[in-house]
Amino acid sequence: MNYLIPTLLLVLTCVSGFADETNQPTPPRRGPAAAGKTKPGKSSQKTTKPATSSGDELANEPVEKVNDPWERLNHTTFRFNDSLTIHAVKPIARGYEHIVPQGVRNSLSNFFDNLDFPIRFGNNVLQGRFVRSGQEVGKFVVNTTAGIGGLFRVSDHVSSLADVPAEDFGLTLGRWGFSSGPYLVIPLLGPTTVRDLTGYAGDFALNPLNWYLIFTNYGLISRAVGYSVSASRFVVRSPGSVRTYEQMKEAAVDPYIAVRNAYLSHRAAQLEK
Amino acid sequence: MTNSKPFKRDAISQYLNALIGEFGNRIYQYRRSLAVAVVNLSFVICRLSFAASPPDPASQLRSEIDQVLSIAYSGQSSETLADRVRPLLEKDFSFELVTRQAIGPGWRQFAAGDQQKVTDLFSRLVIRIYAARVVGTQKPTITYGKTVTLTPDRCEVPTRVTAPNSDKPYAVVYRLINLPSGWRIYDVLIEGVSFVANYRAQFDDLVRRGGAAAVIKTLEAKLAEPINPNS
Repeated sequence: MNYLIPTLLLVLTCVSGFADETNQPTPPRRGPAAAGKTKPGKSSQKTTKPATSSGDELANEPVEKVNDPWERLNHTTFRFNDSLTIHAVKPIARGYEHIVPQGVRNSLSNFFDNLDFPIRFGNNVLQGRFVRSGQEVGKFVVNTTAGIGGLFRVSDHVSSLADVPAEDFGLTLGRWGFSSGPYLVIPLLGPTTVRDLTGYAGDFALNPLNWYLIFTNYGLISRAVGYSVSASRFVVRSPGSVRTYEQMKEAAVDPYIAVRNAYLSHRAAQLEK
Repeated sequence: MTNSKPFKRDAISQYLNALIGEFGNRIYQYRRSLAVAVVNLSFVICRLSFAASPPDPASQLRSEIDQVLSIAYSGQSSETLADRVRPLLEKDFSFELVTRQAIGPGWRQFAAGDQQKVTDLFSRLVIRIYAARVVGTQKPTITYGKTVTLTPDRCEVPTRVTAPNSDKPYAVVYRLINLPSGWRIYDVLIEGVSFVANYRAQFDDLVRRGGAAAVIKTLEAKLAEPINPNS
């Protein structure tokens, strides 16, 4: 009898407590703010009335039109690249992974990324992004010195240098107002657009490592070194590119469209950074 | 006059002693039931405080991801893993909404039975792919960014994932929606590529040309293909 009232209280509390959670979804502390007023990109601590949705507005979004006028030719090139990746690049990548340990592969990948510094720095300057240009210089200096020639990404441990978006000439052209143009699939190179292919040519010229291919006054030894560097860079980057491609292909119901959408979405996201 | 003050003092003192004695006696008498009441009161306070603080989608997501990863990276085969992570992923994701988005506006033309069938097949495909990617024993490192509000009922949680065999992090953004059943993931963006938008682009032509039958046939064929874990 002495326990009747406390026990009733307990039962009532449980019932009311659970009812509160199940029947009245509450907004997050860091989430929804005033309806229609909040700009994406800003976090909010405001608590508002519960807002739930059926998601109909998301499900009814139309599919974006894609600028792919040479789709038939692109399809053919895509199939060619697919065979090339599976029968030529993949064996090279597997062989490289078999011979070279993971830690060394990571370091070599970092080394070649560090060598692409002129591309990232030059494009930041061309876009007038001088803070990021400075960050790129900082990254290069830190990784080349403390990171022993770029083998280690020491800059990741420096908060101001940890997450600097990589720039290229395709993005520079995009920021200058050039639209992406038609989608293209290039043999060996893979998915691109007219703008990005132009950008690729610009970056190629901007990278001193490729100058042996552009200028004629290079000696035989310099050319041999140049070709070796290019071949090494290709081998070092092959496991990553093969894995990404195979994973996409395995998950896709239409690999051509999956790769096209992924490429265009990724580039659009890079342009927004 | 002089005797009245001590009398008054004694009377008050006696009254107070009696009152305290009686109160103390009652406390002693009902000590066990009072102890139960105190415990229950603390329970009430706890319940009220939980009810007052709404579930934060970011912390909810974090605990859900931790749960999935603890099962995922336990060194099991991808087939076993798919069965084990399925209940967790079905709780975290709204597969119905994910599938509806992946199919796009054509979804409304599907019969209810076909919608159910497509949802079932598509969720099986997604879970199967996920299980094939997380095979192994070494968990990736995940850092969580600030939650971004998209609309009053939607938000996104940016994360950076570093695989154990790599030192280059990549961006993964989880988009959550506040459905009547609670906060659920409705899309995942990897390096800016939306999972549902990618599938919507792939299904678009299929839906327009062959409707639900073509989608079901394609998904069944896809599920029949072998999958290479960690390829």
